Amino acid sequence: MKTLLINTLLMISLVVSAPLLAQEDPLKVGMSGQYFPFTFVEQDTLKGFDVDIMKAIGEEMGREIQFETANFSGLMGMLESGRIDTVANQITITEDRQKAYIFSAPYVYDGAQVVTKKGNTEVENVEDLKGKTVAVNLGSNFEALLRELPYADQIDIKTYESNLERDTALGRVDAFVMDRVSASQIIKEKPLPLELAGPTFSQITNAYPFRDTEAGRELRDEVNKALASLRDKGELKAISKKWFGTDITRP
Amino acid sequence: MDVLNVDYMVGLIPVLLGYLPLTLQLAGTGMALALILACLFAVVRVLGIPVLNQLTIVFISFFRGTPLLVQLFLFYYGLPQLASGLTVIDGVTATIMGLTMHFSAYMAESIRAAIVGVDRSQTEAALSIGMTNGQMMRRIVLPQATRVALPTLMNYFIDMIKATSLAFTLGVTELMGATQKEAAGSFLYFEAFIVAAVIYWIVVEMLSKLQYYLEIRLNKAYSR
Repeated sequence: MKTLLINTLLMISLVVSAPLLAQEDPLKVGMSGQYFPFTFVEQDTLKGFDVDIMKAIGEEMGREIQFETANFSGLMGMLESGRIDTVANQITITEDRQKAYIFSAPYVYDGAQVVTKKGNTEVENVEDLKGKTVAVNLGSNFEALLRELPYADQIDIKTYESNLERDTALGRVDAFVMDRVSASQIIKEKPLPLELAGPTFSQITNAYPFRDTEAGRELRDEVNKALASLRDKGELKAISKKWFGTDITRP
Repeated sequence: MDVLNVDYMVGLIPVLLGYLPLTLQLAGTGMALALILACLFAVVRVLGIPVLNQLTIVFISFFRGTPLLVQLFLFYYGLPQLASGLTVIDGVTATIMGLTMHFSAYMAESIRAAIVGVDRSQTEAALSIGMTNGQMMRRIVLPQATRVALPTLMNYFIDMIKATSLAFTLGVTELMGATQKEAAGSFLYFEAFIVAAVIYWIVVEMLSKLQYYLEIRLNKAYSR
């Protein structure tokens, strides 16, 4: 009876772990598909800066890239539980995240930007956010940036799963905070009455997070090698030019 | 700027319809499994089978007492923490597990009520003419209970179809997930969500028609 039980348990664990052993390819990359122009969907096709960079990395590594899309707030959970290998969604390196994950070399240098409805003269820089309602994406680094401001207790921060640009344009919140390049692209290409308010107020550096395990570290090193080679060949710059008209892959 | 970008909406219809089969698969599988589970629970409860009865009560209490989204997160993000091999539970499986358990808890209660609701005199009459318990259930009680339970079960199915919209949080791009992504890419939220709403509405309307038809058929023997 006992051996039967042990055998059954062994069988089950073998069956359960088989997919783990066979996970050689492809590289599973999580993204929201909801962050124009880094990762977004148009007519059922996943596009964007992060998609292109990741595809280039895949080619460099000789591994197939499999994109997994989920709400932004679910992505870190998917990384944590081992369902994806990394997240390509303009993830900013922060202290807190560095405690939990290991990061690749940075591939985007950008700044945090306040954006308001067009014609809003009340908010013209980050100091003006005092006493205002400000939208940020749920789970994003911009919430932490706002909370670090000396007058953070006077800012009403609203977190969004998506759609914060529209709510700002509608006047439901006074402003939103996002990275400068995304905000500029949205203002340029989308039919929303928005404008940048003042200069960027914090430097942000984006990289790919990996689990802090032996496999995670190995993968990180491989991705770093691919990134360095893409940088040397000028491909990072080319992809950046394509989406932003400028090179955001260098400090 | 026009009020509604109709061209965009028309273009979106085939895209979103492409995700309808997955939505229906999630709800359909969830419903079939939930029905089986709910019937078992109801029988256990009606017959008062010891131990199983108590377990069922706890199960129903938990799955009725916690939000579906919490249950989905438990299955999807929680279980792999117990054993890393449990990542084999992918988003689709976790969604179906959640829908099945959540809705079976509700459905068990309405099936139990429908069985208990069949008048005692009927079961006594059936037994007095020499029917076995099984025959009584099959020929007398269940046909009447089915008729009573049908509208509420259909309600749960409709609810389940709409509940699949939570699956995108687990990385399953179903109808609602696809809509969210298209809306976020185009910034045409109103247009995208109208198209999604109409698709859900039409599906549910077709189910209502089916329910009406089934009700007439089941009621035939009892109408006078």
